[in-house]
Amino acid sequence: MKKAILATAALAVVTAAMVSAQQARVTLRVQGFTSPASEIGTPLDLAKKKFIADAQRAIPGLTIRSEESPPNEAQRLVDIAAGTAADIWYQDASSLAKFAASGNLLDMRKCLPLVPALKLDRFWPNVLKIHQQPDGAIYGLPDGFTPMVIYYNPEVFAKYKVPVPKADWTWNDLVRTAQLLTVDKNGRNATQAGFDENNVATWGFRVRKFPFEWVYRLWQNGGDVLSPDGTTASGYLDSPASIEAIQFQQDLVYKYKVAPKPTVLDQMVQQLGFNDRFLTGDFAMFDRGHWELVGLRASKNFKQGRVAVVGQPRNKTNATVFYESGWVINKAVERDPAKLKAACQLVERATDVGYQQTKAVTGLEISGNRIAARGAVAAAPDPAVERVFVNLATAGRPPYGSKYAFYPAVETILDSMMDRILRGAPVAEQVRAAVTEINREVAKR
Amino acid sequence: MQNKLSGSAVPAQATRKGPWRKFWSLWNEKTGYLFVLPSFAHLILFLLIPLGFSLYLSFHDWNSPSFAGAPFIGLENYEFMMGDLRFWNALKNSALYTLMGVPLGMLFSLALALVMNMGLKGSYFFRTLFFLPVVSSWVAVSVIWITLLDPNAGIVNYVLSLVGITGPNWLGDPAWAMFSIVLVATWKGAGFSMVIWLAGLQGIPKDLYEAAAIDGAGPWQQLRYVTVPMLAPTTFFLLITGVIGSFQVFSPVYVMTKGGPLDSTDVVVFRIFQRAFEEFKMGYASAQAWVLFAIIFVLTLAQLWYMRRNVEKTFS
Repeated sequence: MKKAILATAALAVVTAAMVSAQQARVTLRVQGFTSPASEIGTPLDLAKKKFIADAQRAIPGLTIRSEESPPNEAQRLVDIAAGTAADIWYQDASSLAKFAASGNLLDMRKCLPLVPALKLDRFWPNVLKIHQQPDGAIYGLPDGFTPMVIYYNPEVFAKYKVPVPKADWTWNDLVRTAQLLTVDKNGRNATQAGFDENNVATWGFRVRKFPFEWVYRLWQNGGDVLSPDGTTASGYLDSPASIEAIQFQQDLVYKYKVAPKPTVLDQMVQQLGFNDRFLTGDFAMFDRGHWELVGLRASKNFKQGRVAVVGQPRNKTNATVFYESGWVINKAVERDPAKLKAACQLVERATDVGYQQTKAVTGLEISGNRIAARGAVAAAPDPAVERVFVNLATAGRPPYGSKYAFYPAVETILDSMMDRILRGAPVAEQVRAAVTEINREVAKR
Repeated sequence: MQNKLSGSAVPAQATRKGPWRKFWSLWNEKTGYLFVLPSFAHLILFLLIPLGFSLYLSFHDWNSPSFAGAPFIGLENYEFMMGDLRFWNALKNSALYTLMGVPLGMLFSLALALVMNMGLKGSYFFRTLFFLPVVSSWVAVSVIWITLLDPNAGIVNYVLSLVGITGPNWLGDPAWAMFSIVLVATWKGAGFSMVIWLAGLQGIPKDLYEAAAIDGAGPWQQLRYVTVPMLAPTTFFLLITGVIGSFQVFSPVYVMTKGGPLDSTDVVVFRIFQRAFEEFKMGYASAQAWVLFAIIFVLTLAQLWYMRRNVEKTFS
């Protein structure tokens, strides 16, 4: 009898151990921690590898299979349809809505009870909003982001004795500053008689057709592209405020003559890349995000003192947009509770201060973790530049692509509209045509 | 039943074939089918099934990963297309590309073939040289031509400037961008058409030229009254395949202009690509693809009908 009881007890212990061991062994397929061949061995690559190794040690039974991200999002959608998508991946906010609408992303609120260390207040609230849906669901968590700012070359300002822009500057300040900095080869600026717009040595500004570089100009004037529910562009894109903002973009080229026409700009950048033109003083200012610092610093024409940034100018507001990437979890992970917990833990670690601080070496973006972002300022190559970006972390709006799954079709229309407008087409007429086309697109969805 | 040789009756059982004999008698047919089975399977798997699925998709609104949940919307995609000005602009551009590119390509490659057919020294070398662009990657060719066509630093405008001509902004001017794509495509495809023309030229009996020469025909007259008519089948082949291929142009547009400037080089396949892979409207993109197929099919039928009428007339 004793032997039978002991044998049963031993069997129970062994079975429990086996079951426990099986339950604890989890493999997660993760995309977003590999580096291209040219970046192997760089500080970022090493930081990523360390993160993977540390996570596997810290989370019992976890094996991470780090994979390359697919070359495009169509491939990722195919992977999702085939059931072969990764468990966790690095998702660009500009196309987040597409994936969220597909129903294949995990609502991160399910992670909160599983991983007490994951607190949403670690993130910038405006940046977290990118992942939040109207029903409260949160698809993914922020990793890195950037507001769109105005880059300027202080050397050009010093050369023409123009005061550098301040944080509270306005549209009028932008125009005036750009005019003083648009100088022809005879030394006349755009405010002076005899200014030769066909013979410009330095341009004050750059304007391009791409919506990601001008859509916030509408917000700065109180306008918008779409209604909040995304059902119409009527009354929004063709509102007086929006038309005025779009007209402002055209006026920078044709009325104030501070930005080159598209054909002139194309020819200029074909001869010499834009970053080099900016650094050597051919352009005084342009719109861009934090990522541009990487290319600027890598240029042979880079020198300390040639790059500075300032927030967007204000008209009614000084709104800007956040472009961001974050970590999302595949909803299929939910089926396995152990896998779900491990995935939540991994995302918690990826968005925690520890990893975010080591990742800050890239200079590509601001950390979505507030503490890490503030901590990176002092360690940045140019703390003054970094501080401007961090100070803007409370002022941005989510990109349209994070809210409207159909936005790529709208973006194509906006791109064509602005292309025509920057080539001189009448603004109101082009906007009306775009509104008609956008309404047709959104009605179809 | 009577045995025809000996005249004696054949027993009834001997006329019924056993299963093995039955199978053996069909074996030769089966062998044929077995030989074509791999190609047939490939055709079904990689052509017919995707075609069928694409047709199925065109009646659905599939813009999420799982097509099982894609709602059936009937002809809505096709109805939407009727009012999609961007699509019709792309179709117009594709037609323009075809109208410019096919005749230019055929004439240029015919000229090359005529020269190659003269049997001049070095013609084998030049034949290979002219064929090299054909085997080059479209992406590599497009990237190189972006540099060549640069309005300020490109060699094309430099050469034009030597003869006093100010070259346009080839890829940046809406009036010239499509023509630039046509030029690049003509350059790239000329070698292939040249080889086809050469095969046609070498099939023309020499005695026809001798007879023409005896009748006093000069080189141009021989070209016009002997060469060109005898090349009719080759001409129609290149015309039909040229039209089919031109309506499907994509790579140079994608690499060189992305449909711009001002949508002047936006062609149908590029539009389909954008709808499918950038806007994820797979159902609508499939509908566009089927409309393109229908247009090309009708054009091909029209050409075949014209060819049948005129070639028969010529040789009757």
